[in-house]
Amino acid sequence: MRNKRKASTEQTLRSRLSFGLIIKYIILTLWAFTTIYPFIWVVQNSFKPKGMIRSNSFALPLGKMFTWENYTTAFERVNILGAYVNSLVISISVTFLVVIIAGIAAYGMARYSFRGRRILQSAIVASMMFPAFVTIIPVFRMQFSWGIVNTSSLPLTWLSVILPQVAGNLAFAIIVLMGYISSVPIVLEESAFLEGCNIYQIFIRIVLPIAKPSFATVAIFTFLWSYNDLFTQMFFLRYKETFTITRLLNEISSRSGVNYGLMAAAVVLVVLPVLLFYIILQKQIIKGITAGAVKG
Amino acid sequence: MNSMIYKNKKPLLVFLIPAFTIMLIYLYYPFAMNIYNSFSDIKGLGRAATGLNSPWYSNYIELFSDQKMKIAVLNTLKLMLCTIVFQVGIALVLALLIDNIRIGKNFFRIAYFFPIIISATALGLLFNLIFLYDGGMLNNFLELFTRHEVLIDWKDKSRWMFTMFAPIMWQYIGFYFVVIITGLNNISSELYEAAAIDGASGFKCIRYIKLPLLHNVLCTCLILAITGSLKVFDLPWTMMPTGMPLDQSWLTGTYMYHVTFNASNVDYGSTIAIVIVLLGIVIAQIANIVFKEKDYC
Amino acid sequence: MKMKKLIALSLTITLGVFTLAGCGGKTSTDNTGDKSAETKGGASITVVSSYGADDGNRGNFEEAVKAYEANTGNTVKESASNANEEWKASVHADFEVGAEPDVLFFFNGVDSNPLIEANAVVSIEEIRAEYPDYASNMKEDMMGASPVDGKNYSVPVNGFWEAMFCNKTVLEKSGVTIPTDGYTWDQFLADCEKISAAGYTPIAVSFHEVPHYWFEYCVLNNGGLANHLNVPAALDDEAGKAWVNGLSDMKELYDKGYLPDNALSAGDAETFQLMAEDKAAFAVDGSWKCGWFAENADPANFVVTTPPTKELRKSTELIGGISMGYYITRKAWDDESKRDACVEFVKQMTSDEVVSKFSSSGNVTALKNGAIPDPNANELIKTVTEMNGKVTNVIGAVQDTISGEQKTDLFGNVKIVCDGSMTVEEAVTSMLGK
Repeated sequence: MRNKRKASTEQTLRSRLSFGLIIKYIILTLWAFTTIYPFIWVVQNSFKPKGMIRSNSFALPLGKMFTWENYTTAFERVNILGAYVNSLVISISVTFLVVIIAGIAAYGMARYSFRGRRILQSAIVASMMFPAFVTIIPVFRMQFSWGIVNTSSLPLTWLSVILPQVAGNLAFAIIVLMGYISSVPIVLEESAFLEGCNIYQIFIRIVLPIAKPSFATVAIFTFLWSYNDLFTQMFFLRYKETFTITRLLNEISSRSGVNYGLMAAAVVLVVLPVLLFYIILQKQIIKGITAGAVKG
Repeated sequence: MNSMIYKNKKPLLVFLIPAFTIMLIYLYYPFAMNIYNSFSDIKGLGRAATGLNSPWYSNYIELFSDQKMKIAVLNTLKLMLCTIVFQVGIALVLALLIDNIRIGKNFFRIAYFFPIIISATALGLLFNLIFLYDGGMLNNFLELFTRHEVLIDWKDKSRWMFTMFAPIMWQYIGFYFVVIITGLNNISSELYEAAAIDGASGFKCIRYIKLPLLHNVLCTCLILAITGSLKVFDLPWTMMPTGMPLDQSWLTGTYMYHVTFNASNVDYGSTIAIVIVLLGIVIAQIANIVFKEKDYC
Repeated sequence: MKMKKLIALSLTITLGVFTLAGCGGKTSTDNTGDKSAETKGGASITVVSSYGADDGNRGNFEEAVKAYEANTGNTVKESASNANEEWKASVHADFEVGAEPDVLFFFNGVDSNPLIEANAVVSIEEIRAEYPDYASNMKEDMMGASPVDGKNYSVPVNGFWEAMFCNKTVLEKSGVTIPTDGYTWDQFLADCEKISAAGYTPIAVSFHEVPHYWFEYCVLNNGGLANHLNVPAALDDEAGKAWVNGLSDMKELYDKGYLPDNALSAGDAETFQLMAEDKAAFAVDGSWKCGWFAENADPANFVVTTPPTKELRKSTELIGGISMGYYITRKAWDDESKRDACVEFVKQMTSDEVVSKFSSSGNVTALKNGAIPDPNANELIKTVTEMNGKVTNVIGAVQDTISGEQKTDLFGNVKIVCDGSMTVEEAVTSMLGK
């Protein structure tokens, strides 16, 4: 089957290696340029001494302008590796939990029809708009009464950040996964049911593999938002050992933006893991319906 | 769509309870407190309420006569429209284009993701330097065409909307792009083969296969666009804080932040939050009715 | 199948990371355990301060804390963050739930009211009943008494001043002499005219973002010391008149074109850059900006001097004060084992030597003997020391006494007044209504 498709695609390609295709590539490349350039801009500024950035921000850091000082300052002043560990632990845990919990919730919402479904859906949409400062104080109070806030135990501190972040990302994940799952034809699930699978088996063996790309998408955004969520981190992470990389680097590269060089270096250091995570995951986002499921 | 599999509702509880329990504890309960807060008098975030307002609905009266709030809501609605047309629209076009080509798919997919991962502070700085009045990149670029110095104030009364909206549009196109392209990838390749056999190509393929099957994903994007516009904060605040210029550029997200943190009027901020949530629910429901969700049996 | 692999991979990574972190965590607790066993002290106190990683004095703070730990054998668990609104909120929230630290370095103005009102911090008076020489190196009336009951609760380190920064190059090129004492408003206007004629921007300020400092001085100019801290109750009382006239002065500067072209829409960072690029001559700001000059320009090119005066103000009267200090919380005070450690901590952090180090950018201190000057001070700081040496009165900023809402409202309206859509009177009335 694959070969047949390849053949027909090649045919169409040959006949259309044309103006249309070139235009497409031009558009795509132009847009790619606008999206990549800012990142390049940040990277090259991170290698310049701070005084030079405001005046020469668009120039390349060649010769005299090149310096490692921003990175060395960052590594010296604070414990970057520890912060990375904190960030990764928290964000991976949040992603993992959200994917599972939102996954089953989205499955239930998408496939079942029941009274109150519409209301629940509205409730989910509503919760996406709750601003952080509204929920943070009662949550802080609550978690303090459970004893997981301001403790000297690192895992408990992690927990105090993980739980609110999971809650915060569930709504988004459920909405997005609902959208994907409800556009998957139900035939496969029905045939599996006829073969005697129960609901849970259907979910694990049929829905999960088919919706894999959507799960990957939800995972990457959950990871990104948990990673960058400064507000929650500022409230619950008090001691240096508990800082995440985002919180840490926000501290040293001050809002008033006086030290642009350090800020640029901070941005690069913060962004690298996310980029890696995305590159790994985006292989999952490509076409990937396993032959087994289709034939089943 | 009442498939027989899903007649038995018992597993439904198992599926829904974990998510809704967490959301109940961490989201809905605090928000209920927030409703109470909008009736009380709180002088600073983190402080306890010092009694109820007098009269208890005074925040709501203030809300309706607040000029800046009206500006904020109007601007946000405009932003919402732009988001739907430009962010989702351009993302759709890009996703369809990428789906059609063979070489370089991966590269483009990674490239378009960049804007979302860079922090708003860094992006704000970049855009501020681009739009800078004296020596910014845009003004310098325009000087290449005219022969004299170009000193356009991109943040003045007539131009601020473009200067604020354009970066926001640009940043989140990548987000919708990823969402849509995942949707495209969920479409079984069997359908494309069947279409090819039937002789459909290019545009027909888009019109009769991709778009309809993307329907639900596009609905999702619509909801995300609505809620996103109501909440957006980071980039607009970094570029145009406090309603610059002259209180014109308030958005619901930035105004709410300003009221809560700058003016320390936490109870009024809570009121604004409630209004935002209500607005969101109402607009989302309207969108749902207009673009009915389709199920595929 | 791939999904399972991915899950497995993530789990392994997470587990691995947990293990590593766990090991890391254990080692650090072991270390502190050993330390307290060895030496005499052995108490452990929690300290919250605003000496966040970006604060100019962060290095000094860490050094002083380590010295304390070495001297006394106590351990300090410190948490610091830049002093922003979120930090204030988290401090208040801590007190609310009972999670407050033992020693707190915090604001001593209206922001501290909840702490005083809840009796959550101990007054200096009470501490002196047990430790008679507590804060004995500080002047009584400069310690920042609480607005609630007028008593001193916190021991300060360094304070701030607000004055005028002048760009020597621009002044020279415009044929204007550098202002010194006795610089009047009329002389100032005449100089601005000259500077404007020479093609420079006389005043670098963003009325959109930071009209704060010009506001203080214009009000002081029009109202005088005695009235300065009074908030108007009506438009036509003494304070009200001072505010109206002060704001009118500011509008005058805008109308005469002495401000940058985009003063109503640009941010502070952008307009201040004009000073570094030798495009503007004057800027009124505070002591915290000295560091900015050191980083972004040549400090030798700038001078700090007293802003122009009007009849009711002498040029040796400056806005300034001390806005933060060390508190000991009642929670720590009531704990016998921590009391000594906390008192000793504050004593060491506010000793003459430490305070002098912290105020090396020419800050105001409350020290009875004055700060020990830093021999390595740059040119700019030298002019600051010279100016401070001539000061006769320092008075706090009246904007620190009004509520956040009123302040935001008033300053938000400055640009609207300048733009002409609102009169000065309307702006003040609006603030009064908040």
